Amino acid sequence: MSKNVDLEQEGVEVRKSACYFCHQNCGVLAYVKDGKVLAIEGDPDFPTNQGGLCCRGNIALQHLDHPERVNYPLKRVGKRGEGKWEQIPWDQAIQEIAARLNGIKDEFGAEAVATAGGTQRTDDWARRRFMNLFGSPNGFHNSHLCWIPTFMVETAIYGWCPFELDMGNSRCLILWGQNPGAAGMPEMHHITEFQSKGMKVIVIDPRFSETAAKADLWLPLRPGSDLALALAWINVIIFEGLYDQEFVANCCEGFGELADHVEQFTPEWASPLTWLTPEQIRAGAYMYAMNKPGNIQWGTSVDQIGKPAGSAMHARAILRAITGNLDAPGSDLLTGPSPDFITDEEMEANDRLPESQKPKQIGADRFKLVTWPGYSRIAEETKKVWGKAPTAEWMCEAHPPSVFRAILTERPYKVKALLVSATNPINSYGETKLVLDALRAVDFMVTCDYWMTPTAALSDYVLPIAGALERPTITSSYGCSDFLLASQRAIQPMYERRNDYNFWRDLGMATGQKEEWPWETVEDAYYHRIAPLGYDAGTYDEFVELYRFHFPEREYFKYQRQGFATPSGKVELYSSVLKDLGYPPLPPYIGPSENEVDDPELAKDFPLVLTTGGGFMPYHHSEHFQIKEVRFLRHEPYMDINPTTAAELSIEDGDWVWIETKRGRIKQKANLTQGIHPRVVYTQRGWWYPERDMRDPELGGCLESNTNVLTSTADEHCDPYSGAWANRGLLCRVYKVDASNLKGGK
Amino acid sequence: MARYAMVLDTRRCIGCHSCTVACKVHNGLPVDMIYNPVTTVGPTGVYPNLHQVHIPLLCMHCANAPCVDACPTCASQKRDDGVVFVEDKMCVGCLSCVMACPYGARTLNDETGAVQKCDFCKERLDAGKKPHCVNTCHQKARIFGDLDDETSEVYKLVNSENAARLLGELNTEPYTFYIYGLEVKNP
Ligand code: SF4
Ligand code: SF4
Ligand code: SF4
Repeated sequence: MSKNVDLEQEGVEVRKSACYFCHQNCGVLAYVKDGKVLAIEGDPDFPTNQGGLCCRGNIALQHLDHPERVNYPLKRVGKRGEGKWEQIPWDQAIQEIAARLNGIKDEFGAEAVATAGGTQRTDDWARRRFMNLFGSPNGFHNSHLCWIPTFMVETAIYGWCPFELDMGNSRCLILWGQNPGAAGMPEMHHITEFQSKGMKVIVIDPRFSETAAKADLWLPLRPGSDLALALAWINVIIFEGLYDQEFVANCCEGFGELADHVEQFTPEWASPLTWLTPEQIRAGAYMYAMNKPGNIQWGTSVDQIGKPAGSAMHARAILRAITGNLDAPGSDLLTGPSPDFITDEEMEANDRLPESQKPKQIGADRFKLVTWPGYSRIAEETKKVWGKAPTAEWMCEAHPPSVFRAILTERPYKVKALLVSATNPINSYGETKLVLDALRAVDFMVTCDYWMTPTAALSDYVLPIAGALERPTITSSYGCSDFLLASQRAIQPMYERRNDYNFWRDLGMATGQKEEWPWETVEDAYYHRIAPLGYDAGTYDEFVELYRFHFPEREYFKYQRQGFATPSGKVELYSSVLKDLGYPPLPPYIGPSENEVDDPELAKDFPLVLTTGGGFMPYHHSEHFQIKEVRFLRHEPYMDINPTTAAELSIEDGDWVWIETKRGRIKQKANLTQGIHPRVVYTQRGWWYPERDMRDPELGGCLESNTNVLTSTADEHCDPYSGAWANRGLLCRVYKVDASNLKGGK
Repeated sequence: MARYAMVLDTRRCIGCHSCTVACKVHNGLPVDMIYNPVTTVGPTGVYPNLHQVHIPLLCMHCANAPCVDACPTCASQKRDDGVVFVEDKMCVGCLSCVMACPYGARTLNDETGAVQKCDFCKERLDAGKKPHCVNTCHQKARIFGDLDDETSEVYKLVNSENAARLLGELNTEPYTFYIYGLEVKNP
């Protein structure tokens, strides 16, 4: 191990690499000799992590050559899911997959080929490029649950998503359904730093999370009631005179209508819905509005509350605007896309998707915001002001649950093939049983991954993908920020692993896109992207070694020069874009997908409120359960339950319990903690057991503790704007696992 | 000569266990051996009035190290810079030091038969680097340096904040110091 490795020895090279286990992409220094990584450590000069690495970052060497990694292309030889594989050459795999996809295209149309993606651990623009050139609009991600609806709602309202925080100048930070203390380490460090200098921190979270424990104000709301809280805050800020009159008068449209609309939403109204007292609600509104400038940080939770999600994002967006906390020093900044380097969107070849294919995008008829109807509308406005559109991969996607349903029902049409890249849908998409049925039913499936996941186990081909230290990385907030951080690969991919970029390129060339992929390596493609910046570097690697970052000079108040990228050029509190798409122009109140107020009958059977997990250390999504160097920290899945509730249910600390919703039940171990409301339970997400039988039907115990069994993707539970499904705020019951109820299996 | 010390700032620690994992993987420890566990106390109180603190642990690098005195073969040693370590080739696995250490900082490696523990990553110190656990802590909750150097951060923290020694009453004089947040937050 590195303890005994002499890093001063001759021939050791230091490569400026990056961690790829979450999309923070912390800078890593890799000590390399003869094509082998001897040791790694956090790069002290990297602006975000400053030498720090989380649990996952530290296991890069264990990940790099783990005995369970998939290292060669595998082709199924037995029955689907039987676990019999043949090792084949890459070229054969690509040729066979291409032939199959072209055949499906000829018979059923290009739209019969869909792709599923995960969190950004891949070059997603390359996947999008492939799909556009192939002619299918049916790429999708988990992005519906993660930032993208927020991005699109906010862009509809003020022309870009203000995700860049100017925390150094800020006096108040709201962490809304976000727990960087367990999910975003580099960020947490900055928060602590600025908090110690006086910045107030408000945490909105049903759990007493790692971050809530450090907050100045913790608002433990009912899961899924974010919209009620946001509306009540708008009410307080307007009717108690806390809003920024000048900004509202000069820069906003629709304030009068908004004031009329929110008059009814008092803290007293919101109190029974949020389970917060009116005083707590007011305290939060005052703390934010009176400590200017302030930031509202995005967190995944609001994207995951299902039915009220879009409206909640709209209300949250309004809060920033009416307090004047937009693009001013210390507030949330509208960076816009980079005018200088070639963005992800410009690499995607979106203009190559035939117009006639766009209406076929599954879900575009119902969920207009994050599909072609909304994306085109919003892209048109942003192009006028910023000159560029947001990244289409992520922002303009088929509705995943509807694709899974299309596989099963052939409605609206047949979906025959699914290409899975960097994701494990069985554990990461909603309503697992539906997903599992779809994956078993789909005619043809290819998975690109590091491991034999439950999803990979059901595939026809499993392709070995290069990981963190084996690939270069450009980090630019999903292609939507004006800065970039560049990292190089430490080594060439080991065994027969390949970059996902090379997979899409090779597949593109084999399906007839020969002319469209001029960049042979990822580095060539990246160099093409950064070349317009004009740095004195002849290759991508040289750019990393000499410069590594591009941070343009920060300009505040850009709207004074160019207006907001909306039809009126102003902040549209009353949103014409949403209205044009058929949505309410002001945020209506909508109850959580399942709740005790609207469904009292259901609440009798399922009396507890479920919040499914956000990120928790040491895992990321459904990854890393194979790696014993982190698995020892949390060997089994745990759910949080208040001791009072547990006592009523005769549950003791460490007992296995069933958590059950209308859709099914799962097993996790009870963690008795005061850190959660007596009427709420919190489950960890992602769990499966790679140490178990990986063949169908066991598939690594993928149903047993997997919280997505409990979630809902029913249309009526989805956000009507974006189609985001419901992971939080659902109704459930909990009972101890014992011999009498174990029957019937999972 | 330096006098190495570590300050654990519990106001900053978020219990992420990065330090634990970094120490394990970079020092090549077996899965069941941990030099620096992080214990979480809490949440204490009754919902929603709660408090929680994480306490990162490690060998205290005592100035009066009972483990060194207890070792019959002189495998347990203290360097002039204060680093307490085990010379594993000399260790016979008698466990005298394990019993002598009031901090539970030592464990027997069943495979090698030698006692092991945190040694402040002395090879790294000698190469001019900081210990792995310090480097990897995003929160900068572990602060390492020379307590004899008045310009060092550890010197400043130990002398300006409420820095306490664990089990100070035993007079082992640990060179690991703890800073506790005093205020209990939230309404
Ligand atoms: S790495 Fe730092 S913040 Fe994390 S547990 Fe260790 S000391 Fe605490
Ligand atoms: S903490 Fe224990 S092992 Fe470390 S120096 Fe003190 S007595 Fe020895
Ligand atoms: S100083 Fe080194 S050996 Fe000691 S706990 Fe930290 S990483 Fe482990």
